[in-house]
This record gives sequence, C-alpha cells and structure tokens, in this order.
Amino acid sequence: MSNLRYLVANVLCTLLRFIPIPCRTGVIKIGNPGRDSPVLLTCNYWLTVERVKKAIRGIDCYLLVANSRGINVWCASAGGHLTNHSVISILKTSGIEELVGHRNIILPQLAASGIEAKVIKEKTGWNVIWGPVYAHDIPEFLRNNLKKTPNMREIKFPLRQRLEISVAWAFPISLIIGLILFFVFPKLMIPALVAIWSLSFLTFLAFPLFSRMADRRRKRTPNGQPRFLDTLIYSLFVWGIFILLVSIVEFLTGQLSWIEILRWAAISVILTFVLNMDLMGLTPIYRSEFLKDRLLTIEINQEKCIGCRTCENVCPRNCYRMDEEKNVAVMVEAERCIKCGACIVQCPSDALYFRRPDGEIVPPEVIRKFKLNFIGTRAVRVE
Amino acid sequence: MCAYVLMRIFESSPKKYDWGIRIITLGKAENVYDSLASHVKSGQRVLDIGCGTGNMTIRAARRGALVKGIDVNPEMLEIALAKIEKENLSDRVELHEMSVVELDKEESESYDVVTAVLVLSELTTHELDYTLKEVMRILKPGGLFLVADEVVPRNRLKRVINWIIRAPLLLITYLVAQRTSHPIKNLPERLEKAGFIIESIRVSRLENFVEVVARKPMRETE
Repeated sequence: MSNLRYLVANVLCTLLRFIPIPCRTGVIKIGNPGRDSPVLLTCNYWLTVERVKKAIRGIDCYLLVANSRGINVWCASAGGHLTNHSVISILKTSGIEELVGHRNIILPQLAASGIEAKVIKEKTGWNVIWGPVYAHDIPEFLRNNLKKTPNMREIKFPLRQRLEISVAWAFPISLIIGLILFFVFPKLMIPALVAIWSLSFLTFLAFPLFSRMADRRRKRTPNGQPRFLDTLIYSLFVWGIFILLVSIVEFLTGQLSWIEILRWAAISVILTFVLNMDLMGLTPIYRSEFLKDRLLTIEINQEKCIGCRTCENVCPRNCYRMDEEKNVAVMVEAERCIKCGACIVQCPSDALYFRRPDGEIVPPEVIRKFKLNFIGTRAVRVE
Repeated sequence: MCAYVLMRIFESSPKKYDWGIRIITLGKAENVYDSLASHVKSGQRVLDIGCGTGNMTIRAARRGALVKGIDVNPEMLEIALAKIEKENLSDRVELHEMSVVELDKEESESYDVVTAVLVLSELTTHELDYTLKEVMRILKPGGLFLVADEVVPRNRLKRVINWIIRAPLLLITYLVAQRTSHPIKNLPERLEKAGFIIESIRVSRLENFVEVVARKPMRETE
C-alpha cells in the first residue's frame, strides 16, 4: 500500500513537477518512537513527504510535516512559503511537545534560506539542527551523531534528477503543443512530440558537458555566472546532435532527403531555443540568467565573524572554508555561490551581507525579512 | 523559460493580492469589509487576524477603534503600513508580523472585537481549532468575532456548480496572485462548538461565502 502510494506520488509529481501538490500537515510516527526519539521536519509537498518517509523507514522517529503550501523545501523556503511561522505552528499545534522529552528538531538544510534558527529558539525553545540536503543521507547523519560530511551538505544534479527534470519539462510542453497541433496541423503532431521529448532528454543527458564549459568560464568572471554565450554554444550542440540522430534514423529507414532534414531542423530549432533559454534556471546548481539578483555579491565582515561555522554548515555549494589561524570563515569558492542567502540568514553575528552592483550594502535583516535571494520575493530593488 | 515563469509565480507579490481577492470573491470583498466593520464602535480594542494589506484594519480604525493587525507576510504588512500612514491612522493602529499560533501571548479578555476576513481558510485544521480556542479566550465577555470566508456549500448541486465556476477562477488567481484557498467545511458549527453564539449569518447565493457575526457569551454570574 505504502509502496503503491510512493510510486503514484513519484509518477504524478514528476509529470507535474512545476505544480504544487500539497498533502496533510501534522506529525507522522515512523516505527516505534519514544520520548527520546529524534524529531525531523519537512515540507508538505506530497512527493517530498513520500521520499522522506521511504528514506527513514526503519528508524524510530517523528516526522513533522509543516505547511509549505504544497511546494518543495528549497523553493518554498527561498520563496517565502516555508517560513518561521510554518515551523512554529507545527511545533505548537501538532502535539509533538507532549510526545518527546527533548527540544531538538532536525530541519532540512535547504530550508536555511527561509527559516531562522534563532527565531525558532526564541519563540518556541526548540533547537534547530541543520540536517543533510538529501533525505537519503538522513540515516547516516543520525548514525553519525548529527554530524554532516561536506558531501551531505552539497546540492547536486545527478543523472536521476536530470531525467526527472527532462520529463517535467517535456510533459506539460508536449501536452500543450500536442493539443494545439492536433486541431491546427495534425500531421505535425507526432514529429513535434518526438522532437520535444528527445531534445529534452538530450539536453539534460549531456548536461555535464555544459557544466564543464560553464565552470571553466565562471572561474574567469568575477561574479561567477556562466554567460549567455555558453548557453548558445550548448544549444547549438544539442541541436546538431538531434539533427544527426534524425538523419541516421532516416537513412536506416531509407527516407533520407534534404527536405525531410530541413523540416526537422525547423521544428527543433525553436524548441531548442525555448528549452535552453533558461537552462541554468532549470538546474539546482546554477542561478537563472533572468534574475536581477545574479548581480549581488556576498561579503564577509571578518571583524564580526566569530568562527562558528554556521555558514559552512548551511551552504549547499560548499563555498566556505575556515581560516583556522584567524578563526574566521573565508569564501574560497565564491564563483560557485548561487545566492540562496542561507548563510546570510543564519549568521548569528550578522557578519554576512549582499552588496549590490552600485556598491550599496543590503543588510541581513532586510534579506531575512523579505527573503531576498535567487528565487524569493523582491520587495527590495536589486538594481 | 519554465523555471523563469515558475519563479515569477512563486514570487507572491502582495501588490497583486488585493486584485486576487477581488477575483476570488467576484468583487464582493469591498462590501464584506464595510458590512463587518459596521459592528465596530469608537474606542473599542480590535484585533485583526491576517490583516494582509490592511483593508479591515483601516476600516475599523476609521470608526475610531484601536486596532492591532497581525499577519505572517512582512511584505503585506509593509503595504498596509503605507496605507495607514497615508490615512493618518498611525496613532490608532499597530501592526505585527505574527501568526495565529502566537495568540497565546495575548492577554485574556483584552479585546472587544476580533476580525478574520479570508484568513481562516488559509489555516490548517489544527491551526483553525487553535485559533478559535484562543480568540474565545482573548475576547471580553460579550465581545464579537467577525468572520468572512469561503465555505463549502451544503447543497450538493451548489457544490458542483461552485466547483465548475471556481476551477478557472482558481487557475487565474493562482497564476496572477499566487493565491489558492481551501474553503472551510461547517464553519458555523465549528464556531458554535468553540463556544460562540452566532448572532447573524449571511450566506451568498451559491452558499460558497459566509459572513458571520459571532458573540462570546456573557459570564453566567452577571
């Protein structure tokens, strides 16, 4: 039964990845938890809850499902839907305070751009412990006495996730385009669908190539954002591969002709452009090229830094290292930063902040209040 | 491109909020605020739960009440603050970024009126129960709880009609204002169960929206 639900959630939520799908909030008992069992928290996106439940099967603990309006942890916390209020509310109304004797709650690390550990402690008395990025690391994290390896802290874009994103992109687009063509130009429907799905898979399968090209360039640009040119080169590459594949298939079936190739090229060039327009924005490891706050830079006031390692602990890109001699944090890999703002939001001594391109500082309290980050709300002007 | 559009969608812009409410309520919102505010008297202490951009808060303050507005969205509060300053009501209004689960910090029997317009439907069931209990506690005996919200119609046919009308509206409001809503089931019963006496109730023709004036009973000894 629970396996079936897991399967349905995975299929449905992969096809409709861009639509929030909420599930019930509250406390879920995993195994046979007692008064000392760990308490974990997650969002109320259905797929996330199913995956977390599967990842921690066999461990006696409590799982709190907080209201994020059916959006995943990262998008919801950066976008202002999974907030301090969601956490305070679930702690106070779920009855968890009567179930356990301790006051330690493990939050997903990616919630660090939206939830303030300090506020949770002040208002509820609960200590926030930042867990791993991925649910599958939770068992090891618990065995490890709540210590995270650098690997557990880092966001990745592995093959499985790339395939999910290609389906998530191809499915709604093929639904819309397929439906339109069915009525307007039915002959073109099948070729268009073939092009949408294969281009989408090609783009994300070959993504490591783009990554390598972009990373090399990022090292040379001060703000660490790959340029539009990389995207252009990469989309031409994907387009070329697609045309090559089509020609091979046509050659093997004996239908190869210039007219045919031209027709396929015309269909696919538009699709390639649409797909690659914001390729980086479709990945968790780069920022969208369209957002203005890609121009912000993070700075550390080393006089204020107390060397507590919080920034290192919440950074999903492993940008920070500790200068053990001076006991301060250093951003050694600044070009990897995606500006999720987690380090700024959590810094207990307000030593981190954004600097705008015109030189002005955006102070941490503004960033916390308005969720100024790569996806969040923009009550504050960036440019 | 998808991701870009998506991010825009996640940007819950409060500027679009009033607009979104107007679509969801088919323009009824203004009348609702006015008719509920008419129960507020000068000098009374009012708590506006989920004050949003301040529509109810301002109306209550205009009638001479001392209003505390609470909301979880700091951007909405920012807009409310600007509106309040424009109307010169700052000395009668205070705003706090606070959620309903923090109502336990409020003193017992300290408010004459508590208002909640289009906010109970945004709460989870646990939060709703908690809120009703706390409102009961912080109201003075005889105090009023003014509620307006979307509800699930009782009549099955109306439920179906309502669903058909709402589906496209919900889609539009979601895309434009990123607002979804979850109509409440059995709102009047829930209020009665929490101990309120229902003074008056106005139901829309499709039974999908109610305005309730509920009263906390006087002490029995009085």
